[in-house]
Amino acid sequence: MNPPIIETRGLNRRFGRTEAVRELTFAVPEGSIYAFLGPNGAGKTTTIKMLLNIMQPTTGTARILGVDSTVLGPRELAQIGYVSENQELPEWMTVQQLIDYCKPMYPTWDDAFCEKLLKNFNLPPHRKLKNLSRGMKVKAALVTSLAYRPRLLVLDEPFSGLDPLVRDEFIRGMLELSEQSAWTIFISSHDIDEVERLADWVGVINDGQLHLSEPTESLQTRFRQVEFTASPETTRLPATLPANWLVPEMAGQNVRLVESQFREGETLADLQRLFPGGSDPVISPMTLREIFLALARTFRFTTESKA
Amino acid sequence: MLPFRIELKTGSPVSEQLVYAVTKAVISGLMRTGDKFPSVRTLSQELRINPNTAHKVITALIGQGLLEVRPGIGTIVGKNPKATPQQRSELLGEDLEHLVVEAKKLRLDVGDVTRAVEQHWNKLS
Repeated sequence: MNPPIIETRGLNRRFGRTEAVRELTFAVPEGSIYAFLGPNGAGKTTTIKMLLNIMQPTTGTARILGVDSTVLGPRELAQIGYVSENQELPEWMTVQQLIDYCKPMYPTWDDAFCEKLLKNFNLPPHRKLKNLSRGMKVKAALVTSLAYRPRLLVLDEPFSGLDPLVRDEFIRGMLELSEQSAWTIFISSHDIDEVERLADWVGVINDGQLHLSEPTESLQTRFRQVEFTASPETTRLPATLPANWLVPEMAGQNVRLVESQFREGETLADLQRLFPGGSDPVISPMTLREIFLALARTFRFTTESKA
Repeated sequence: MLPFRIELKTGSPVSEQLVYAVTKAVISGLMRTGDKFPSVRTLSQELRINPNTAHKVITALIGQGLLEVRPGIGTIVGKNPKATPQQRSELLGEDLEHLVVEAKKLRLDVGDVTRAVEQHWNKLS
C-alpha cells in the first residue's frame, strides 16, 4: 500500500455540547479515490474542514501530505485542490478574472491544462460568476482547483444539485488528474450511486463516528448476501444471531441476511447451527451499493437528509 | 468514445468485464493489430471507473500479449492476437450460457434451440 496522503488519529470536534466528530482514525493511501460516505449531518464537512486547517480539531491530529493539519501552509495548500458544495466564489468576477486571481498562488499552474478544462466544460470566460448557473459555478471552481495539477483533490459533496450532464463533465474533469504521476481524490458524498465505480477506498461515517475505512475490494470479499429456505419447524428468526449478520429478514420460510465477515466454512457452520434442516443457502457477492445500503439500514440512517 | 463495445453490468467485477470486452473486440477483428488503445485516463473517463482499475486491465492485457506498449505512442493492439478456435469458442461462453438459461426458462429442449440457432444462422449468411 502507498504511504498515506491523509492520516488522522483520534480526531474530535465539539461544538458546545455537540460532538460533531468523534475519535476519527483513518488513512487515505496516495493514488486512491477515497469515498467518504455518510448521511447529511454525519460530520463529513467538519472532518474535511479539519483536514484542510479551515477548522481546528478539539483533540486529536490529522496529517496531510505528511504535515500536521494545524500548520498547513501555502506550500502544502498549493498542492491541494478543494471544491465544496457551499463554496463561496467572488461573484463579481468573471471566470477569466477568477482564473487570473488564483493562478499566482500556484507555482505549478498549467495554462494549457486550464484552457483545455475551460473548453471541455464549455465555460464562458467573460461571463460574471453571479450570472452563471449552479452547475457552471461548480465547474469554474473545479477548473481553478485542477489547473495546478494538485497532488490531492478534496471534494465535499461536489455533485449535490448538479444535473446528470454536469455531473458527468465534473467526473471527467477530475479524472484528468489520473494522467499525473501522483494524484489522490478524497470525495465526500451522501449518495453511493455517485461514486460506486470510482472509489477504490471507502469510509463510512454516521453521527460523527467512522464505521469502516477499507478498500472496496476487501469490503466485497467480506460481504455476502445469504438466502435460504428455513425448515418448516422454524417459525421465526432466532433471538440471537451472530453480530456480523446484518439486516436479517424472514418472510414465510424464506430467510435473507447479509454476512459481513464471510468465511465459507464458518458462515455455513453458523447457518447449520442456527437453522437446522434449512435448504442449501444461495450465497452471492454484493455490489458496493448493496453493501452500503445494508450498512445504512443497520446504522438506521437513510440516504436522505437527517436534518 | 471507446474502440470496443462494452456495457458495464452490476454483479461482476468491472475489470473482468473490461478484459472480456477488449479480448472479444480483438479476436472478432473489431480492433486490429497496430490500432491505438485508449489510455488509462480515457478508459476511466469514458466508463466512469477508477483509474487504478483501468490500469490493472491494461497491464493484464499487455501480460496476455493482446496489447503492446510502444514508447512515444502509447498502447497498441499487439502483433499476434490470432485466436485459437478454443479461445474463440470460449468467448461465446457467456452468451451461450445466457441463451441456455433463457431457453430452459421457456422449457424449450435442446432440439428447439438448435433449430432456432440454425434458422438465425441461415438468415444472416
